[in-house]
Amino acid sequence: MNAILVTVVIVNIILALLFSLGAVPILVWVERRVAGFIQDRLGPNRCNIAGFRLGGLVQSFADMFKLVFKEDFRAGDIKEKFIFRISPVIVFVSAFLSFMVMPFADNLVIGDQTFLMQGLPIDFGILWFLALAGLSVYGIMLGGWSSSNKYSLLGSVRAGAQVISYEASMTLALISLLITYGSVHLVDIVNFQSGLIFGFIPAWGIVMQPLAAIIFITTAFAEANRTPFDIAEGESEIVGGYHTEYSAMKFGLFFVGEYIAMSASSAFIVTLFFGGYNIPWVGTQMLKEHFDIVMIAILIILPILSYKFRGWILKNNVWPKADDKRNNESKWLIRVLIMMNIVIILLFGYFLLFGVASTATNIAVALIQIATFAVKLLLMNFVFVWVRWTLPRFRYDQLQELGWKVLLPLSIANIFITALVVVIGA
Amino acid sequence: MGFKIVPRYGKSLKDKLYLPALFGGMKTTMSHFLKNLSDTSNIKTECYPEMQPTDITSRYRGVHRLTHRDDDSVRCVACFMCATACPAECIFIEATQREDNVDEKMPKKFSIDLLECVFCGGCVEACPCDAIRMDTGIFTFVAQKREDFVLNKEQLLANKEGN
Repeated sequence: MNAILVTVVIVNIILALLFSLGAVPILVWVERRVAGFIQDRLGPNRCNIAGFRLGGLVQSFADMFKLVFKEDFRAGDIKEKFIFRISPVIVFVSAFLSFMVMPFADNLVIGDQTFLMQGLPIDFGILWFLALAGLSVYGIMLGGWSSSNKYSLLGSVRAGAQVISYEASMTLALISLLITYGSVHLVDIVNFQSGLIFGFIPAWGIVMQPLAAIIFITTAFAEANRTPFDIAEGESEIVGGYHTEYSAMKFGLFFVGEYIAMSASSAFIVTLFFGGYNIPWVGTQMLKEHFDIVMIAILIILPILSYKFRGWILKNNVWPKADDKRNNESKWLIRVLIMMNIVIILLFGYFLLFGVASTATNIAVALIQIATFAVKLLLMNFVFVWVRWTLPRFRYDQLQELGWKVLLPLSIANIFITALVVVIGA
Repeated sequence: MGFKIVPRYGKSLKDKLYLPALFGGMKTTMSHFLKNLSDTSNIKTECYPEMQPTDITSRYRGVHRLTHRDDDSVRCVACFMCATACPAECIFIEATQREDNVDEKMPKKFSIDLLECVFCGGCVEACPCDAIRMDTGIFTFVAQKREDFVLNKEQLLANKEGN
């Protein structure tokens, strides 16, 4: 145990916390604003702290505070009090732990030590994710059953049936991927995807295994209980489904767990199919060798993007009443933007002028890769939200039909095709 | 009598694949999202208390008002036609003699309970001398107590024509 090891481990855990738990308010905000824009509405835009609205992000925190301080009500009819209490925790913890194996960056080399950039530095990430993603349905089923409410029971039965029918196709789609990648270690998988096929297409999973990608993304939607597969909630048919009887922060844990599960699924999809922390065409080694070019590129692109963003803020971040304190926000946001630009330009300028030690290069490359991963994660989460506000919910029999009659045969066929290609190719 | 053959959809390969339709729908929602994100003024939502509605026409039935004669006295002659016509029975009139030789009667008290009123406009139709109108354009009426929702004669006379 030395200081560097402890620091890296702590940084990794903080990053994992940020990407999963810290992302929840942002995801709730993204969900509500995107839903609003898709339906030609505004979405939450009023809540503010001293005039700061951050585009409505403050509303998520206000809602969270409301859930924390609400009365925690439990109907007297509920006999299995312990199970009732523990089931939101199961959902939350399993969603949370399944995020812990996502690699945020390539192996970090400091001095003569190499560190895995994961919350949990283990090399069987896929198995860990599958095990814990499957666990979260226990929370839903136990919660629905112990609520002693017919609607909750129906919701949990639906959730159980759905997970059984989709987990099979999900795992089979993963097997064809494992044949391609030849490893269960997520860092190996991402490094495999940093290559090129035919010399110009990034060897991402979605190019290598398009069918497996479609099957896996579909089943990931079902796994995370998101529309179009959220029949376990089904508020148009069975009130609130499994969380009908839950209130206050117990409901809040279900809610947060759902968003963390969505974020974890997105991270897994990004890692398996969209090159993880890789920037397309630019591998880790290339980043390290040509780091000054990367810095110059960032120095050119960042101010241009910031200027565009400034224009967007000035145009769109206006409050209709003239003398409202919310109108001061744009000014401060632009100041913060300019400050961030100055700091980054000074830092990179210093690096460019005086050169960088190899450790500093390694850390900076890791930071760039973490940023890439974060952007990809956000985009994939956006796809989850986008699909939710496009597609209506499946009917129960349609859902089972899709799972057993379409996805399962397709994934089995995909395994055979992949195996054939690999065997013939070898 | 002719027959109309209704085509059945969902049998072609494109429909059965499901994905083309899915991507079509996602394209539609994305176009809405990008349009509204690039310029939020494309959204027709009015931020209500700050932005007041501009589409209230002169025929909109808002809160009532009592009209005035040329000499600024009350035009109402307390004939009770409006109170009779009122389906919600929310108009309360107390008549008195008019001393200034302009007319014979005038209301001593004229009050409308806005919590009872259904804003049907029956009183305006029934009035023989155009003494009550609903053209103030006031579409919200806010008060703290139940009693405050009963408008008396002075308040009704003070209401101005809107728009």
